[in-house]
Amino acid sequence: MATVVETVLDEERPDPTSAPAAPDPRGRLARLLASRPDLVITALLVATVVLVQGLNIDNFPTVSDDEGTYLAQAWAIQHGKGLAHYSYWYDHPPLGWVQIAALSWIPALLWHGPLVVMHARVIMLPVSAAGTALVYLVARRIDLPRWAAALAAVVFGLSPLSVTMQREIYLDNFAAVWMLAAFACALSPRRHLWHHIAAGLCAAVAVLSKETMLIAAPALVMAVWRGTDKATRKFSLVGFAIAFATIGAQYLLYAVLKGELFPGPGHNSLIGALQYQLGRGGSGDILKSGSVSNLTLHWWLVRDPLLIYVGTAASLAALAVRRLREIAVAAVLLVAVAMRPNGYLPAMYVIQVIPFFALAIAGTADACVRGLLRLRLGAIGRLGWLGLGRWRLGPRDLVAVLAIGLAGLVAPQWEAGDETADTAYSNNEYVAAANWIRANVPDPAHRRIVVDDAMWLDTVKDGFQPGLGAIWFYKVDLDPAVTRTLPHGWRDLDYVVLTSIIRQDPNGLPTVRAAIAHSTTVATFGSGQQQITIQKVDHSGSGQ
Amino acid sequence: MISAVIVLCSLMLFAVAVFTLWWMLHAWRTPETLAATKFADPDGTGALSFSLLVPARHEQAVLERTVLRLLESTHPDFEVIVIVGHDDPDTAEVAHRLAARHPEQVFVVTDTHEKKNKPKALNSALPTCRGDVVGVFDAEDQVHPDLLSHVDHAFRDTAADVVQGGVQLINFHSSWYSLRNCLEYFFWFRSRLHLHAAKGFIPLGGNTVFVRTDRLRANDGWDQNCLAEDCDLGVRLSSQGAKVVVAYDSAMVTKEETPDSVLSLFKQRTRWNQGFLQVYRKRDWRSLPSVRQRMLARYTLATPFVQAFSGLLIVVGIAIALLTSVPDVVAMVSFSPLIPMVAMFAFEAVGLHDFGKQYQLTIRPSHYAKLIIGGPFYQLILAGAAIRAVWREMRGRKDWELTRHVGAHLGVEAGTAS
Repeated sequence: MATVVETVLDEERPDPTSAPAAPDPRGRLARLLASRPDLVITALLVATVVLVQGLNIDNFPTVSDDEGTYLAQAWAIQHGKGLAHYSYWYDHPPLGWVQIAALSWIPALLWHGPLVVMHARVIMLPVSAAGTALVYLVARRIDLPRWAAALAAVVFGLSPLSVTMQREIYLDNFAAVWMLAAFACALSPRRHLWHHIAAGLCAAVAVLSKETMLIAAPALVMAVWRGTDKATRKFSLVGFAIAFATIGAQYLLYAVLKGELFPGPGHNSLIGALQYQLGRGGSGDILKSGSVSNLTLHWWLVRDPLLIYVGTAASLAALAVRRLREIAVAAVLLVAVAMRPNGYLPAMYVIQVIPFFALAIAGTADACVRGLLRLRLGAIGRLGWLGLGRWRLGPRDLVAVLAIGLAGLVAPQWEAGDETADTAYSNNEYVAAANWIRANVPDPAHRRIVVDDAMWLDTVKDGFQPGLGAIWFYKVDLDPAVTRTLPHGWRDLDYVVLTSIIRQDPNGLPTVRAAIAHSTTVATFGSGQQQITIQKVDHSGSGQ
Repeated sequence: MISAVIVLCSLMLFAVAVFTLWWMLHAWRTPETLAATKFADPDGTGALSFSLLVPARHEQAVLERTVLRLLESTHPDFEVIVIVGHDDPDTAEVAHRLAARHPEQVFVVTDTHEKKNKPKALNSALPTCRGDVVGVFDAEDQVHPDLLSHVDHAFRDTAADVVQGGVQLINFHSSWYSLRNCLEYFFWFRSRLHLHAAKGFIPLGGNTVFVRTDRLRANDGWDQNCLAEDCDLGVRLSSQGAKVVVAYDSAMVTKEETPDSVLSLFKQRTRWNQGFLQVYRKRDWRSLPSVRQRMLARYTLATPFVQAFSGLLIVVGIAIALLTSVPDVVAMVSFSPLIPMVAMFAFEAVGLHDFGKQYQLTIRPSHYAKLIIGGPFYQLILAGAAIRAVWREMRGRKDWELTRHVGAHLGVEAGTAS
């Protein structure tokens, strides 16, 4: 991706032959800024975003079960155990954690402490860096001026919601970056056939990283249309479509080769998983208070209300601006799908929306500024009525005043949000629990411990048998391959690490519940919501 | 072990197919590339003089029409030299009649070689050429009257040594293979040749090709022992650093017809393939200046043989991967060459659409179906021709097998060598 950015920035460089031959008296940085301003701006933006997102990345937010799951699945790939640490059931296409696996040598270099997941978050920094650069690039390619492109990158990378979500190991982060790359390729100024083919390829990788990214595909098709010339459009559109379809078809091919395309007894299947996902109970109406979707929305709003409200408004407004239309359509489609009455809305869904919101906000800001600069202020501009007899208010002054005012409104909000992100410690309980297990559970190779996925890799590192010794709590009741090894039910388990994830799990999980009921607390960390207790299962218990 | 072989072969086939696709689509890379494939508009004045060679053999039925059409050319300074065999009185009679009627512009050269072929015929006429530039046409070619002015301009505008105009088979409706044959020409002249010209290594076409007379004489004309004398000339001139310009304009291409049966297609292709082999073995391409050019030469001359078997190899690879229990990843890799193959089919369909548009021909859904379904069978013919070419070359059989033409693009009957 870096090369894409670089070549593009190359192209936009002014012709060196037109530069004056006389030696330039300015410093090196000034010369670089003058000759390749986009490169310098991008580098500064990326550095800032990486700094803000990288500070305290391990301690905030609280590690989530999903992060652990993806990482565990990446671990399974690395260790040649297939596509998942338990049997792969086509919950998501696997390309997301294939990429995590490919990046996980980075934490291996840095990591020396407990809680694998939080340290592994370092791998998200290159992803955020690429995302920031690509937002800037896409903004430039939809004809936004530099300041607006920089604004888009800032919103994308520095909104407290971004800082929180983009540092977590979510598939959506990968998908969003690939989709941005697809837009950048589609809108390549050279209108090159192979750039459009690359756009189809990136889009396929995006969808295979997180299937919901497909929602933005119609907007991408519009972008390809816009990025092509009439003379070569036929070839470009077909190239784009074929690249997208043939790479996407690899997922089907995988299922077919495994004999897991159609549902059948005794194996997982792609179509079976699809049926499950589509029939899955929704999380309720996003606007109806009390529904799970509404809680999710509320959680987003707590992190950054501005991004959500202004982003939605800007996306709708941007529909009316020609050069923003593709971005606006992508954003509006994603919002519309989130608002469907009884769909399933995961918390990380917002990650896919953020880049389009960021671009729509910056684009709309640019459109407003262009509008303001054309204004004739006439009588209002003469500030005599304010007692400022000699001053005249021009459109530029108006823009400056508004910009300062808006920045003053937003900055404190974001400063507070980002400060929390960069200073809070949310994973102390997990770290303490992991340390306790390492120090206090004897003979881990022959013990069976039930954990959530946030800790699964740690227990494996401690010496528990992956899968059947260190058991992801879902699998105790829901995976026949695991249940089969527990002939005496809860009595075959030794420990349960009780975290809020397990406490709040909506599934029944009778064996896990029974094990907890027949256990004694041997260690407690933290209090309230975040409390983690280690439960030692009392094998002699009589089943209440 | 078997996995490693499958992965290696599949990746190689994948790479070959992607390269082929890359080159096949050269002209449509960017709108600027596409615009650059056209002739620039001429400035009106002709400055060069042309000698147009028309070798004719048993082509009395079409020759007159071709020559008369050449004479309609708007260019102010050219001569037409018809080359006939001493053993072909019918064609000679037509040629002499034309020369008598147009004594200033049409001349006849008689080729007295015992065994006849096209390079010998061309070489017989070379000493008599008076023009600055020699152009070659086949006896059944339909040549546009403005072509010469455009070529003249191209020579002067680009300081070229060689100008290759477009040649297009046009009777796509005649049969299933002629549809594919037409498209092959379309992609070759419309797109691929431009890439070769840009890279400085080009196998020239057999007609609508124009070379500066002094360049040609310095090279002793065409190689009489080569079955692909056109390709060979291109390779030799490229190796000497000659500047070659290719221009394709659907209004100005030379229209031709496909071979009249699968058998003659098969024979024609055998001859070309054998010719490519001969050019490869002559090693003129080794004096190309850059490694990249030499690689391109090596690959281009070997293409008929590589391509012939890639289709078969893909099927074999997948079959082996499915029948033996290799890891899933290996099985998936064995399918990977299908990605560029599918893309190629899709782009061929787009090409067919564009072909129809450029030549105002109606392309029906059934034509697209024929194109796709005919693909594997056409591939088989090519594979067969490739094997036969190698066989003949090994046995030292280097005689010409003529391609019969029925004049499907003209509406007349004729037999002709092309």
